[in-house]
Amino acid sequence: MDHQGHSQNPSMGVVGSGAQLAYGSNPYQPGQITGPPGSVVTSVGTIQSTPAGAQLGQHQLAYQHIHQQQQHQLQQQLQQFWSNQYQEIEKVTDFKNHSLPLARIKKIMKADEDVRMISAEAPVIFARACEMFILELTLRSWNHTEENKRRTLQKNDIAAAITRTDIFDFLVDIVPREDLKDEVLASIPRGTMPVAGPADALPYCYMPPQHASQVGAAGVIMGKPVMDPNMYAQQSHPYMAPQMWPQPPDQRQSSPEH
Amino acid sequence: METGGFHGYRKLPNTTSGLKLSVSDMNMNMRQQQVASSDQNCSNHSAAGEENECTVREQDRFMPIANVIRIMRKILPPHAKISDDAKETIQECVSEYISFITGEANERCQREQRKTITAEDVLWAMSKLGFDDYIEPLTMYLHRYRELEGDRTSMRGEPLGKRTVEYATLATAFVPPPFHHHNGYFGAAMPMGTYVRETPPNAASSHHHHGISNAHEPNARSI
Repeated sequence: MDHQGHSQNPSMGVVGSGAQLAYGSNPYQPGQITGPPGSVVTSVGTIQSTPAGAQLGQHQLAYQHIHQQQQHQLQQQLQQFWSNQYQEIEKVTDFKNHSLPLARIKKIMKADEDVRMISAEAPVIFARACEMFILELTLRSWNHTEENKRRTLQKNDIAAAITRTDIFDFLVDIVPREDLKDEVLASIPRGTMPVAGPADALPYCYMPPQHASQVGAAGVIMGKPVMDPNMYAQQSHPYMAPQMWPQPPDQRQSSPEH
Repeated sequence: METGGFHGYRKLPNTTSGLKLSVSDMNMNMRQQQVASSDQNCSNHSAAGEENECTVREQDRFMPIANVIRIMRKILPPHAKISDDAKETIQECVSEYISFITGEANERCQREQRKTITAEDVLWAMSKLGFDDYIEPLTMYLHRYRELEGDRTSMRGEPLGKRTVEYATLATAFVPPPFHHHNGYFGAAMPMGTYVRETPPNAASSHHHHGISNAHEPNARSI
């Protein structure tokens, strides 16, 4: 979400401006799940919300409101997180004691047989990057823990965070489908569980960012196109039973019907 | 090769002391808050009740769980609890993250016919894979690392000599590049070109690509 906004930086050239855009876009898209990709999701949401609004105005609004609050809080926390990271690094003076052992990082890098030589600086950068990665993933996971009014961070919270964050697509295989299923159920407010509209609306809204992410990474991991339909299938409550490959066509067919 | 490389950057902390063994132990303990040996690490994991299989190979595939938990707790509220399976899942995610980024960085190296993955390659890979928020803090981190570590290195004669010997050994093992590439403080401090592993064989290519990188991301490298 936040990262999609920042992905615009190369053309804009200003990170701060990107962050502001990403953050500022939220208030204008009350119904959207992902703020930064709003430019894409907005048009889809607009088309989709017209018939949905006519049929399920009340439930749709309630659902959007609840989700909006949750996402708004998370966005604020993430913004604060990145701001803190920058400030902390500005004050860093000790490069001897890393949060993670450099030797272990190097071993993991070398696990790839194609990797030959690694400069001394690469593991140093990775040590800090992994710390930020752990912090971000934990923050997003805890957000899900709080949604479910628990105080124990569980594996399914991590699964939820992975499902909801585009840049974490590469982690989908690490969490089993059961945890993904929990995420789908948890993300649907209980009050609207019986209603098909919101359940279908959610996966539909998720699709554009996933495709964008998928296209961007197409040249990197060949297995990714396979993972994406799988993840998409898991997000769609009514279509969990069908097999992996038939999912995309079914979804595309069902979406226009609403 | 691997052994040489392994010792190569483990020695960096030695610049603070002439005692190799004690410094190494101190840093290991401070970094991991676990005992250094693999066997004892496995024992520690067992004592902690982890379900991970206790093998050296398994141990080396993940970051130490104590480090991971400590980092997680930095951002969680004090009353938060973390289930064991969540701890293990984060461990797996971190390793996957390193492999994911490294794979992309390595592909770039190969396309440009270089053999050494540099910090810039890592940052480039993160940007390409969507981790844009990470670039700005890490770029600053890299710059500060070069400022501070470079200064410290250049001011210590004895460790300098040792590092010269170390890299001279590496130079024997690997064919050094035909010319010396000045890499900020390190280059200035080490005129003998002992940072063979850190210098891309084709300096011109390196400069060229850094230029391209600058056009898209604030990854400017201080030279």
